[in-house]
Amino acid sequence: MNRPAPAWLTLLAEPQRAVDATLAEWQQTVRLARRLRLLGRVAEAVDAAGLLDRLPAPVQQHLLAELRASRHRVRALVWTAEHVSQVLAGAAYPRVLLKGAAYLAQQLPIAAGRLPSDLDILVPRDAVADAQRRLQAHGWQEVELDAHDQRFYRDYSHEVPPMRHPQFRLELDLHHTILPPVARTRVDAALLLARVQPSGWPRWQVLCPVDQILHSAAHLFLDAELRDRLRDLVDLDGLMRHGAQRPGFWPELLDRSRELGLDEPLALAVEYTSNWLQTPVPASTLRSLRQRGPGAVRRAWLLPLLDTVLTPADPDALPARSQDLAATLLLARYQLQRLPLHLLLPHVWHKVQGRRRNRDDGDDAF
Amino acid sequence: MSALRHDAERLDAVAVDRIGQALQADGLWLDVGAAVLRVQSASAHLAAQLRATYPAFPFQPAGEWADVHCRLEPAAGLRRWLRPQVVFSSDARVIFSPFPADAPLPLFEWGCNWLIGQRLNHHLLLHAGVLERDGMALVLPATPGSGKSTLTAALALRGWRLLSDEFGVCDIEQRRFKAMLKPVALKNESIGVITRFEPRVALGPLFPKTRKGTVAHMAAPADAVARRHEAAAPGVVVLPRWQAGHATLWEPIGADTCFAALAFNAFNYQLIGEAAFDAVVHLARHCPAWRLTYSDLDDAIASLERLWAEHAGRGVRP
Repeated sequence: MNRPAPAWLTLLAEPQRAVDATLAEWQQTVRLARRLRLLGRVAEAVDAAGLLDRLPAPVQQHLLAELRASRHRVRALVWTAEHVSQVLAGAAYPRVLLKGAAYLAQQLPIAAGRLPSDLDILVPRDAVADAQRRLQAHGWQEVELDAHDQRFYRDYSHEVPPMRHPQFRLELDLHHTILPPVARTRVDAALLLARVQPSGWPRWQVLCPVDQILHSAAHLFLDAELRDRLRDLVDLDGLMRHGAQRPGFWPELLDRSRELGLDEPLALAVEYTSNWLQTPVPASTLRSLRQRGPGAVRRAWLLPLLDTVLTPADPDALPARSQDLAATLLLARYQLQRLPLHLLLPHVWHKVQGRRRNRDDGDDAF
Repeated sequence: MSALRHDAERLDAVAVDRIGQALQADGLWLDVGAAVLRVQSASAHLAAQLRATYPAFPFQPAGEWADVHCRLEPAAGLRRWLRPQVVFSSDARVIFSPFPADAPLPLFEWGCNWLIGQRLNHHLLLHAGVLERDGMALVLPATPGSGKSTLTAALALRGWRLLSDEFGVCDIEQRRFKAMLKPVALKNESIGVITRFEPRVALGPLFPKTRKGTVAHMAAPADAVARRHEAAAPGVVVLPRWQAGHATLWEPIGADTCFAALAFNAFNYQLIGEAAFDAVVHLARHCPAWRLTYSDLDDAIASLERLWAEHAGRGVRP
């Protein structure tokens, strides 16, 4: 359990170490960080330290390339959010940015180089239909789903099917809470909405800082896919370090996790970030979370599994074979927690088939 | 890296078995100019296919840095007995749908091209064939239906130095073209066109029924391989269009049309933003440009050479 994260992750906090790494070490770092969607963060950290031109030429090239790619994605995200903000301008309910967009709007340190994939937003449940209508009137359309996926999203999910717009490359994910309504762990969205704050972008709000952490922890530790999710731990580390600058942060985080029923994901998040990324967590907080988090029996089987799936596979390994068994077991555990069994089995089957069908076939240009 | 290169044999001088062993060990490292590719594989077919399509490249079974690392491995599962397949992965992640087990080369080519297009954003990547003469680049942007690969292959067979058939790699700071020297992928009718044009052409195996129809890969000539680290200054831009029965026709085009043909067919023009705009403006201003409509390759090339002698490098628009 005391597995440290890969050494290169310390570059995020101590970019001056970039000049000490050999070309061979950089080769591994670039390959792994790219796969984990962390290369942009490494590149921004090194660039901010003014060290880019002191690195070996191929490393400079790949970091520059990644800076460009992540900044391009950020521009695309900002543009999309501005557009959606105008579409929803007349609505009376709060519009809340989640995850990457929220980190950007608040100008958090972890936003630098963080590669956004989609635009995730939250509105109150009874406002979802109105938001969808307004978006559809401006050209946003639900992506085409088969009957199973449609039913799954409508009846059991915490978001409506992703929406796309021909002018925008990013997908829009419209959420009404942060966990599926059928999960055994439930989060009352009204509690989240009661504490939203201005974001820094006009007409957009964000969850309060402790809720952002709890959302990130729940998203990581209650999700089905845990492979290559080291970035989520890095996010959590950055959010906690940032939050902890404010007095009273840790007690507030503990109170809130109890209130929202998210003690277990928070306990796991703190355990992993403090062990792997040396996040400074007060001893009293650690003790308190030990009591509230998973018990001894649960820890004994859960932690080794989490260790296995959270440790990134070596870039030279054959794809995903070593981690498949552990990943499948964890997947079952999380899906079991989230969905009743009569919904789970058909859903898992459908997902496995879907994964076979929908492999990314890249660009058609060649 | 240069230390590894000094005594390297040509790939086609090395036995297929030895290439196969290298593919199963640390991999085969292919320096294609603007990028180094490293490929590992247990495929029974890949060694011979690489040997046929990268014949003049040095046999390099070890290296220190590669821009693209990939594996082509037999697919697992029951299917391997019924319809064997090969899977492309990079850095322990599967990227493409599998191909039939006896067709690893097209999968290798498409997979690497896709990864290059995703990653090499330190350069402006035009979608264009690029050849060199007199130190200057002839750029053939890939507008739809242009038959760019056919003309690129034909020119490479007539002594123009091939830099690339797919990526017009423009170094943004130096404003020079670099090679991305991979085999020229010929599709469907253009395979016959090129074999009639030059019966001695070095073609790899025919791969029927791929996503793009039948594909065959023309090996880059030895001189192009030897000189793949020599850059070329911007020279002339030609937008080719093959049209059955059409007499060779050259029409000068303005800098605005040239700009659009270069920028809007590029892989990462938008991603790079302002620096890419400046670079393409520079190219459009400095390269005389024509639209070429043709049906006869020999005639088109003969007239291109006359035009080149008059205009290349003058930086004067026609």
